[in-house]
Amino acid sequence: MGLFSAPAYAYITARVRARKKKLIPRDTYPKLLNMELPEIIRFIEETEYKKDVDELSARFRGIDLLEHALNRNLGASYRKLIEISRGQVNYLVTEYMRRWDIWNIKTILRGKYYGASEEEILDYVVSAGELHYPDLESMARRESVEAVIDSLQNRPCYQVLKDYEGGMLNRIEDELDKFYYARLLDAIGDSPGEKLFLKFLQTEIDIKNLKTLFRLKRAGVDREGVQNAIIPGGLELRGPDLIRLLGLSFSELIHSLDGYSYWSSIADIVSEEGTSLTDVETKLDAYLMNFASRISHYYPLSILPVLDYILHKKIEVDNLRIISRGKELKLSNDVIQNNLVM
Amino acid sequence: MAIKDTIKPTRSELIGLKKKIKLSESGHKLLKMKRDGLIIEMFEILEKAKDVRSELERDYAVAQEKLNIAKTIEGTVAVNSTAFSLMDTPKIELESKNVMGVVVPKIESTSVKKSITERGYGIIGTSSRIDEAADAYESLVEKIILAAEIETTMKRLLDDIEKTKRRVNALEFKLIPELYEALAFITLRLEEMEREEIFRLKKIKLKE
Repeated sequence: MGLFSAPAYAYITARVRARKKKLIPRDTYPKLLNMELPEIIRFIEETEYKKDVDELSARFRGIDLLEHALNRNLGASYRKLIEISRGQVNYLVTEYMRRWDIWNIKTILRGKYYGASEEEILDYVVSAGELHYPDLESMARRESVEAVIDSLQNRPCYQVLKDYEGGMLNRIEDELDKFYYARLLDAIGDSPGEKLFLKFLQTEIDIKNLKTLFRLKRAGVDREGVQNAIIPGGLELRGPDLIRLLGLSFSELIHSLDGYSYWSSIADIVSEEGTSLTDVETKLDAYLMNFASRISHYYPLSILPVLDYILHKKIEVDNLRIISRGKELKLSNDVIQNNLVM
Repeated sequence: MAIKDTIKPTRSELIGLKKKIKLSESGHKLLKMKRDGLIIEMFEILEKAKDVRSELERDYAVAQEKLNIAKTIEGTVAVNSTAFSLMDTPKIELESKNVMGVVVPKIESTSVKKSITERGYGIIGTSSRIDEAADAYESLVEKIILAAEIETTMKRLLDDIEKTKRRVNALEFKLIPELYEALAFITLRLEEMEREEIFRLKKIKLKE
């Protein structure tokens, strides 16, 4: 692990730079925000998403069609990265993209638990990781949650799934997410670029843990319940510090975050009464994106430009969905704008 | 058909009629009291129903907004996938209670409001937008159940007020006046018959 291969990075970084140039420029989003919904749809249909929109137009309508087309394009773009990368880059990208495999496995397990049809389940999967659509189809065809788990015996996540004892899936879902991060952290080598990638990932873990702490503490969940949903391996929230935070109440928690670098981004919107955590989550996500943007150009021949493209592609898909769905659901421009990453 | 044609002008009929009048008048009084009581009850429920209805509309708007935000930011794919996490449906128990003789429903619900750990989805892979949408919809369902109980009670009370009002009016404007008319008729007839009897006795006495 951790092999640094300059030629492999040169090829993949050149490819992702070319792909990044095709992304919608940031200054387009404010313009889209001022457009009417039909104009936005027309705009999206004139971009690289046209093919996906056309191919899905028989199954979906309206903004649902757009959302599925965006997800499909995102999946295809990410899978392309796995296909064109070699060596350690391929290993890292594949491990990073396993978050989509985890997402799809969770969706299929939930669907089976609920008793949804195969078609319904497959509408909500995004084939962007190692598991291809036919794999997901075959999983969705299985009879039960247990049968789906059995079908994953040859996959790494089986070591987590085999502990499922029936009933609700929340515990196993959290364990899958923790397993994903643990594997990814193990996969990262010690080249300078990968060290920064590790720092990004640890920051992402911190952000996720911070969100979990906010959500569960506000809901009054006990220490053990919170601990079960905490991902090990964060950057600042770790060791005795994290153990201390687990035992605090919501109001004590927000008074204890002063020393952490994340606090400055949320200090002005967090309050004890804190009616909504959605703004807090939006600010924390923006913090992570800013961090990723800052490090993305440090080492041009490393995993960082690839990560930069992965994140920018996701931002593009999210922004287009937020604008079009927000317009359809008549959300105010302020709400839409506050949730865009620009 | 006139009342004179249907009743017999006898003393026993008169006694029976007087009993009927007494019963009708006390029934009328009781029904009037019931009607007034139901109207007072109805106004109290009406205030509650108005409050619940406006709270319901407000909660619906909030829940819809929270869901719209979750659908917009997380995507409908994420929201719908998360929605599969819960198989448990709210349970409703229907009982009844008696308000001044009117049987109204009492709805008890369980498994509506859930804690974040009982909703079935993992915490790490979801967001507070999903929590807030779920929370808002749980509150909305609770409010719908409460509104159903209050509005059904109101409807039942209204039906019963209408029924009681018809009975009071029937007693007041139809039955009791008719009974009095019959009473007057029998009294007059009996007096007439008494006068005839005296006249007849006088005639017999004169012949002797």
